[in-house]
Amino acid sequence: MAVTEQFLELAANGVVYSSIIVLCSIGLSLIYSISGFANFAHGDTMTVGAYATLVAFGAIGGIGFSVLSLPLGFFLAVVIGIAITAVVALVTERIVYKPLQIGSLGLLITSIGIAFIYRALIQVGFSAGTYRYELEALRPIDALVQYGIRVTEHDVAIVISTIVLVVGLHILLQHTDLGRKMRATADNPDLARASGIRTRNVELWTWTIGAGLAGAGGAFLGLFNQLVPRMGFNELLIIFAAVILGGIGSVYGAMLGGFLIGMIVEMTPILSTVGIPIGSEYGAAIAFVIMVLVLLVRPEGIAGQAVGGEGG
Amino acid sequence: MTKAEQAVAGIVAAVAIALLLAMLGGVLSPTYFLFLFGLGGMYALMSLGLNAQWGFTGLINFSVAAFFGLGAYGAAIMTASNSPLAGGFNPIFGLALALALAAVVAVAIGIPTLRLRADYLAIATLGLAEVIRMVILNEGDYTAGSQGLRGIPSFFEGWPILSAFPETMPGLEIEIIPGQAVVLGTSFWRQLLNVSLMLAFLGTAFFVLRRAHRAPWGRVLRTIRSDEDLAKALGKNTYWYKMQAFVLGSLIMALAGVFYAHLNLFVNPGDLDPITTFYVWVAVMLGGAGSNRGALLGGFVVVAIREGPRFVGDVPVFALDPGPLRLLLIGLLIVLVMRFRPQGVLPPQRELIWPTAIDDDNRTTPKMGVREAKTDGEMQGSTDVSTEQSGGGDSDE
Repeated sequence: MAVTEQFLELAANGVVYSSIIVLCSIGLSLIYSISGFANFAHGDTMTVGAYATLVAFGAIGGIGFSVLSLPLGFFLAVVIGIAITAVVALVTERIVYKPLQIGSLGLLITSIGIAFIYRALIQVGFSAGTYRYELEALRPIDALVQYGIRVTEHDVAIVISTIVLVVGLHILLQHTDLGRKMRATADNPDLARASGIRTRNVELWTWTIGAGLAGAGGAFLGLFNQLVPRMGFNELLIIFAAVILGGIGSVYGAMLGGFLIGMIVEMTPILSTVGIPIGSEYGAAIAFVIMVLVLLVRPEGIAGQAVGGEGG
Repeated sequence: MTKAEQAVAGIVAAVAIALLLAMLGGVLSPTYFLFLFGLGGMYALMSLGLNAQWGFTGLINFSVAAFFGLGAYGAAIMTASNSPLAGGFNPIFGLALALALAAVVAVAIGIPTLRLRADYLAIATLGLAEVIRMVILNEGDYTAGSQGLRGIPSFFEGWPILSAFPETMPGLEIEIIPGQAVVLGTSFWRQLLNVSLMLAFLGTAFFVLRRAHRAPWGRVLRTIRSDEDLAKALGKNTYWYKMQAFVLGSLIMALAGVFYAHLNLFVNPGDLDPITTFYVWVAVMLGGAGSNRGALLGGFVVVAIREGPRFVGDVPVFALDPGPLRLLLIGLLIVLVMRFRPQGVLPPQRELIWPTAIDDDNRTTPKMGVREAKTDGEMQGSTDVSTEQSGGGDSDE
């Protein structure tokens, strides 16, 4: 059953890729829900996370015991990478976006400029070449190869880390004070402020979380592929497709949209196997076409609008 | 002239004199200067196209690079020596195919996307532009794929006098500074032909757009930009007008692509990289949305940013690779323009209808005026009240 085997292999890869897209989509959607603009710098924020992790891991080295062939030092480096990304985003928000007195379109265009600045600085610091983390390349897990699934322990680590982060975010949003404030602010900033919520703090926390998740996504993307200055920008439209499919501004929609779009992009090769003449090189194109269709037919996406729109 | 206009005129004159001196002094070769001037005109042309879409009508089109690429590929497919479909035709047929292709694709993209909200339109057009790039990259049977199309003749190949013009012109030698002769050979005359083609395209586009901008048609577009519901209430079919502006702008961008194919004599899918779109956006924003003069200015400034880093590479302060430096400058320029002059350097004069799309809050014209009047009134009111309350008291007089 060649088709089944190919299906399983692609699906396994798709789950790993989707995890990364889910992390970044949540971040983009969160920032949209609070700041009200489509942040084109989100892709390059991922790149910042990846390179920050690279530097941190280079400094820390492979200390500690290994989990899934990843030394503890790597996880520590990812945490530092996330922190650096969040700081970079906060500084950008403070000195660039906040003082701007223009509408959401102006912010959108400004964020393109920010994206270029991030990428240019990364290219200055690290050249345009490719990097990999100082980890030994792994063979696919033997126990799964017999089913045609070729994933490494690193891939499993990506998926598990994503699940941890997503569950953590869910608990944060639903069961903590900050989460309630975030949902309230996203829903109606004026009302939130009138109820005594310091919306500016909430806004900064949202940027921190959103950029941090993008940083994590970038770090894992670097583990999944490799690090190049364009890595984040290349995924930006895929992430937009995911966010729009899920419903822009909705966190749970972004999770679902990220999963679906990630799977669709990675599963495209199955089309030519079952006889539809669309090659695997059009995976991203299919995602973009779906994005446009969603915008036309159901612009609010699968899950409606605000962070608090559902589940809460 | 406003202050900004005087400043711009001064800077343009200074740059022109500096370039002239550089050429006479033998620092800058006139042929290369004409090449750069051609590139500048090409960006100015795309900026005019985007201006018709974004500046006049408020359409956020992020697929500039795709229409530029369609124009270049349309010209190349008809004329290139390794074209898989139909090489070796007269470039006029290439021009026709390029414009037809751009018009068809513009309608095809416009039908679904022009109903979308502004920021969704931005994302959707960027996505569809990437789809076009992928098709051109991967459908090698029609486009020669990643190896690109080569052997494109100059635009005037096969024309009566002009095709042999560069060869028949005598090589000139101008010696202003002794020992440093400036030689004008065949390649100079070839570039001169290219530049005159560009000027013809640019002039046509400029006057068509200026006419359109002043006509009732242009007024409807500007009404749509500032308040689409208002335009609808006036009985205008706004979707149809937006489609016209979208197609018109896309045709102008395709013209820039045709010019590029015959300037570079080689096209490949890399020419459809979205960065071109953002260069053109910078040009339009810098010049001022809705301003054709601004678009011209912006186009040349962008080429200065694109090509400048090559020359400053030797200066230690700028010891960066041209690539990142270019990206950094474009990024900084976007941020600085949006921060300090969101209306652009040369905003359109005597506009009756102001756009609300991009700068809701810091417009210095009618809208702000109303707000100032309102706040003044309130302050006036409150002073009145306090005077009444103090009732002729002597404390605050």
